[in-house]
Amino acid sequence: MDYIEVNGVKIELDEDGFIVEPDQWSEELVLAFAKTEDVPVVTEEHWKVIHYLRDYFKQFGIAPMIRKLCKDTGLSLKEIYDLFPSGPAKGACKLAGLPKPTGCV
Amino acid sequence: MLYFIGQVFPYIAVGVFVAGLAWRVLSWLKVPVPFQLTMFPAPETTAGRIMTIGKQLGLFTSLYKSDRTLWFWAWIMHVSLAMVIGGHIVGIGYLTKQFCLIGFSPDASTALSIALGTISGLALFISLIVLFYRRTAIPEVKRLSDPADYFDLLLILAIVINGMHMRLPSVHCDLESIRAYIVGLVTFSPIPIPENSIFIAHFFLVNILLMYFPFSKLVHLVGSVVNRAMLVEAAPVYPTPAGVRRQVKFFAKEEYASETATSHSQGTGSKSSGV
Amino acid sequence: MPVKPPLHIAKEQEVKAAGFKPTPESEVKEKFLAKLDEMRSSMRSLMVMLETCTKCGNCAQQCHSFLGTNDYNNFPAARAELMRRVYKKYFTTSGKLFGRFAGAEDFDDELISKWMTYFYQCNECRRCAQFCPFGIDTAEVTITARHIMSELGIMPKFMAGIAANMEKTGNNMGIPRPATIDCAEFMEDEMREETGLDIKIPVDKPNSDILYIPSSADFFSNIDTMIGAAKMFHVLGVNWTISSKVLEAANFGLLFDFNAMQAQNLRLKEAALEVGASLVVQGECGHGWRAAKMYTEGSNGPVPFKIVHVLEYTAEHLAKLPLSKLPMRVTLHDPCNYARAGDIIEQPRQIIRSCVEEFVEMTPNREENFCCGGGSGILMDEMMEIRMQLGKKKAEQVKALGNLDYFAVPCSICKAQLPHVMKHYGMGSLSMGGVMDLVGKAMVFNKE
Repeated sequence: MDYIEVNGVKIELDEDGFIVEPDQWSEELVLAFAKTEDVPVVTEEHWKVIHYLRDYFKQFGIAPMIRKLCKDTGLSLKEIYDLFPSGPAKGACKLAGLPKPTGCV
Repeated sequence: MLYFIGQVFPYIAVGVFVAGLAWRVLSWLKVPVPFQLTMFPAPETTAGRIMTIGKQLGLFTSLYKSDRTLWFWAWIMHVSLAMVIGGHIVGIGYLTKQFCLIGFSPDASTALSIALGTISGLALFISLIVLFYRRTAIPEVKRLSDPADYFDLLLILAIVINGMHMRLPSVHCDLESIRAYIVGLVTFSPIPIPENSIFIAHFFLVNILLMYFPFSKLVHLVGSVVNRAMLVEAAPVYPTPAGVRRQVKFFAKEEYASETATSHSQGTGSKSSGV
Repeated sequence: MPVKPPLHIAKEQEVKAAGFKPTPESEVKEKFLAKLDEMRSSMRSLMVMLETCTKCGNCAQQCHSFLGTNDYNNFPAARAELMRRVYKKYFTTSGKLFGRFAGAEDFDDELISKWMTYFYQCNECRRCAQFCPFGIDTAEVTITARHIMSELGIMPKFMAGIAANMEKTGNNMGIPRPATIDCAEFMEDEMREETGLDIKIPVDKPNSDILYIPSSADFFSNIDTMIGAAKMFHVLGVNWTISSKVLEAANFGLLFDFNAMQAQNLRLKEAALEVGASLVVQGECGHGWRAAKMYTEGSNGPVPFKIVHVLEYTAEHLAKLPLSKLPMRVTLHDPCNYARAGDIIEQPRQIIRSCVEEFVEMTPNREENFCCGGGSGILMDEMMEIRMQLGKKKAEQVKALGNLDYFAVPCSICKAQLPHVMKHYGMGSLSMGGVMDLVGKAMVFNKE
């Protein structure tokens, strides 16, 4: 099992680096992740995407369609890749504490 | 000893060959095909299916489109083997006069018979050696090969060498006494084997091959047909016509689910649905 | 496991959450042999294919897995040997009598890890069967090997996660009903914006004639495929719906366990019966098409409805669709499960030709095409390096075509794998998507 340390607390990660316990998500976790996910500075736009993902997930239990994410946050797919180099599924969802999207993606 | 080799062993060998092959084929056919394995594009008529299987088995079409060199030597090997076997039957049966049936003179028939025999024997000999060499020369094929793969080639090669040896005038092979001997065996009134040591060796090795055949990869003789037949089976039709059901013996759930919605919990590993 | 497979193996809780039972280490060999015995007694292909191989090795040069990875065990006959050797030892006369001479070998500690390593590097593409002199289909060996391991509770974490999602929601991604409806509404909005028309994507509409089963990825990343299908159904004026219970043409059970395959196939049957559809149309999913077309009868008995693929359906109604050719140079990737395993060969071409100005074939194509490298669900992140090797032949094929505007890839697994492959081999800017996407884009609507 891997761990990431946030404020002295060890948060469990699965083999893909996603958090195992969704309740353990916090904004500090995002900052800790940012270092390993090639995100040098967490900007307003990062937070916009992260909060959008979390809200959608809370409501629907799944990550939103990529195109909807783009439309509702006003960002193009390229801009999302610029913010989260691993992409909306593997990058943004990880920082937002969502489970890793699986299947043919 | 000679009695056993000449008048007992041939029956054992042929018996094992026939029964063994039948047993192998039946062991495959009694196992169901749970899901159609049609390889597309597939023939859609019975005639089409027979044609497809026939072309594959007769011309080695799938080899032809992938590795021309292997195709050439494998095809020559099998065709010359078939010609050698066929040639034995008519050549011995008719004492080389088989071509008189199509208007050749007796001397011309003998000459042709000997020529064809020599050519096919040589072709078989050369192709076996090439295939043996190939097996040692291509790294992944060499690594893949079992001792049996080399043994099979060498056994047939030994038989061919023996057989070719018998063609030499120095080895006097009396075709008439050989025919009499074979006829004796076939009519279940065996006579002593002609005392020609090369012939005895050749004949003995053939019997060894026959006995070994059903327990080796040489069963591809029949396996190829069974496999090709699976690949041309018609795809399922929907809506399913009345009375059509396929047997799948390994699902954990023994019965098909009914038409009404049922729970989806699958039991796995706990129930082995018997054989 | 002494040798470490490049896969993340599912842990005990993950195995159980997927509905499978882990096997204690001490019982593995016994259960393994029992399962192998069961399978060889119930699948003729397994017996015949293991016993008929003459070790000619011709398959090596035709397998993209071997050609891309250069790993001996990745060539079809060698891969089958991982099963054949232990099979011979226990189940054939020559194996029992002659042992190593005949190519028999006992079960050892490393066998399972070798199986996990190599049977998850076979894409089950059936290309080897095209060139084997006997038509031996190594995919059958792979499918069976994965089934045996899953029944022992040994499976990739990736598959276990998908199995759990399939159980819970009827689709690989775990999309629950409210999200399905939300996604459908979003796509309806997109279409309205584009065409000015009220094109619907009905969800769970009773008394529908047609049940359309997309790939769940069409509701996440490949929505143009779904939109293309919706536009087509709208223009044809048919009474159709999707079902939130089975939002998945895919049947990953085919890729790791037959019982899971049967269960997912049952969802398909039940959903179709529930809406009363006389026609089930499968969306752009490769192995799911193979499962629906070839495995329904054996899995869940007779069905009263017809099953066709969306490309078959579209090709049939092509003349009725108002299409204006897009000015593009397009090539087609023939998914393995369409061409070799699913009898969908000419239809994608007919459709593409009606949608674009220039269509070019790659070489080889149709039933001789190379797999994308992601086939049979080899989409795990941890396998990325190997996946790129598996995609090497495909990349070469595309590169040889020069300038392309669009790469038509009508299968969700291929859509997930090929963008990575293309990027890796220097073609990252190539636009890619399904065939129905092109139909949607080429469709002309009279703006009201």
